[in-house]
Amino acid sequence: MKRAILAIFVIGLFAVSGFAQTYTVASDTTWPPFEWADTEGNLLGFDLDVMRCIAVLQGFEIDIVSYDWDIIFDDVGIGRVDIGASGATITDERELKVDFSDPYWTSDQAVLIRVDSGLNIVTALSGGAVVGAQVETTGAGFVQGLIDEGIDVVLQEYSLYPLSVIDLINGNVDAVIQDEPASQASATAEDELTICGVIKTNENFGFFVAEGDPNGLLALLNDGVAQLKDLGVYDNLVRAYMGTDITKVEAAWKASIGLLNAGNVVDFAESMADLSN
Amino acid sequence: MRSSLFFERYTLRMSTIWQSFQLMIVRGLPNTILLTLGLVVIGLVLGTLIAFAQVYGSRPLRWLCKIYEQVFRGIPILVLILIFHSGLARSFHILLPAFVSALIALALRSGAYQSQIFRGAIQSVPQGQMMAARALGMGKIKAIRYIILPQAFRLSLPPWANEFSSVLKDTSIASAISVLELTKQATLSYTRLSVVPGFGAKWTLVILLVLALIYLVLTYAGNAGLRFLEKRLRIPGFELKGKIER
Repeated sequence: MKRAILAIFVIGLFAVSGFAQTYTVASDTTWPPFEWADTEGNLLGFDLDVMRCIAVLQGFEIDIVSYDWDIIFDDVGIGRVDIGASGATITDERELKVDFSDPYWTSDQAVLIRVDSGLNIVTALSGGAVVGAQVETTGAGFVQGLIDEGIDVVLQEYSLYPLSVIDLINGNVDAVIQDEPASQASATAEDELTICGVIKTNENFGFFVAEGDPNGLLALLNDGVAQLKDLGVYDNLVRAYMGTDITKVEAAWKASIGLLNAGNVVDFAESMADLSN
Repeated sequence: MRSSLFFERYTLRMSTIWQSFQLMIVRGLPNTILLTLGLVVIGLVLGTLIAFAQVYGSRPLRWLCKIYEQVFRGIPILVLILIFHSGLARSFHILLPAFVSALIALALRSGAYQSQIFRGAIQSVPQGQMMAARALGMGKIKAIRYIILPQAFRLSLPPWANEFSSVLKDTSIASAISVLELTKQATLSYTRLSVVPGFGAKWTLVILLVLALIYLVLTYAGNAGLRFLEKRLRIPGFELKGKIER
């Protein structure tokens, strides 16, 4: 009898020690290079790998799910998912629904145009120009701000960013405004498009959690980001994801993810940076 | 030289299309099928109950069914799904998984439509049949079970096939609340391709065409299956010629 109890206790200890808290992470995986799904269904991206590295460092597990941008703030806000990692700019409006971490990325808006349109950053945003943007993005907000100030520009909104790019190629819009990394990715992929200018909006991306941070995650996330920066992991991930060929990054990830799964954050980031460039 | 480059590009493009197609089938199709079958079956149960209540029930019962039917046919699908997903969550803190929200909303709606199909079918069986059955000494329930229902069932197959095709396509709306079904998977594919060098945003159309093709094949297969069922169950000489008397 006593032996049985002891055995159960020991087994229990093992079970508990192997048990790690798992948090669900929502991400709108339609936005390279921050988050997207590769051809095997793996979810990768700058945001997601930063989250994965933080999880390894802080000792919790994460389960990343593809989520729709339209309801991501609502659902994280009420706690249906624990964390949101989706290239979200910290805005007052969004602060009403969710709690943001400290900024982990500073972004600017880039303006994409057709190479043969002859527009520059000023003419692309005035004089009756039609500018495309994704709904509920800060880019769309920026153009709306211009309209509110009386500048003659038209805002055309799209549910997804690639749709605005298609219209730009077709000539239905004169320019597309979107965060710099995504715009760069498009400019690399499309011969007929180029970035005519960057608007320094100094937007900050933050991870977000339910209002009131019931799981006490923000502290872990902020500390995690700080650690990643100290370890050089952050810079390596930037080198891996920003301005690189998406197919190379995907190959790099498949080759390197084993390192991360083994708990080796630093080598993972280094490998990513080396193989993506 | 030139032709080999063309060939390379061609095979790369073909294999990418094939890859996206495979992804849609493997990761998107299961949920589409599950949702469709689930909602159709639940809708079937609901629909039959309500149809019965409307044809043979008491006045207050009929009135209630009328309300149910009007409400769930009158609200846009997306709104209905959002009510169950976001509405319940924000107002009552009832958190339903996305799949469940979509299933319930679509099932309730299909139930409303199906109830109308069955009600119409039951009422299309000539009144004389019921009178004859009673005259032969059959109880009302026996008459319904052995005379009315078999005929009503066959009459309801064509419009029901229509409803089935319809709901299969309606499941794509579930992508709005992040259910990983066909349309959502296609979205993941084309947003990725839009930044792959050598492809680009124009490929959105290619991916969406593949998606449309998949839905087309599914709808066709579903309809073909139901047509087969119709033929197998056909009662020679019994066709809907119009009501004899009312």
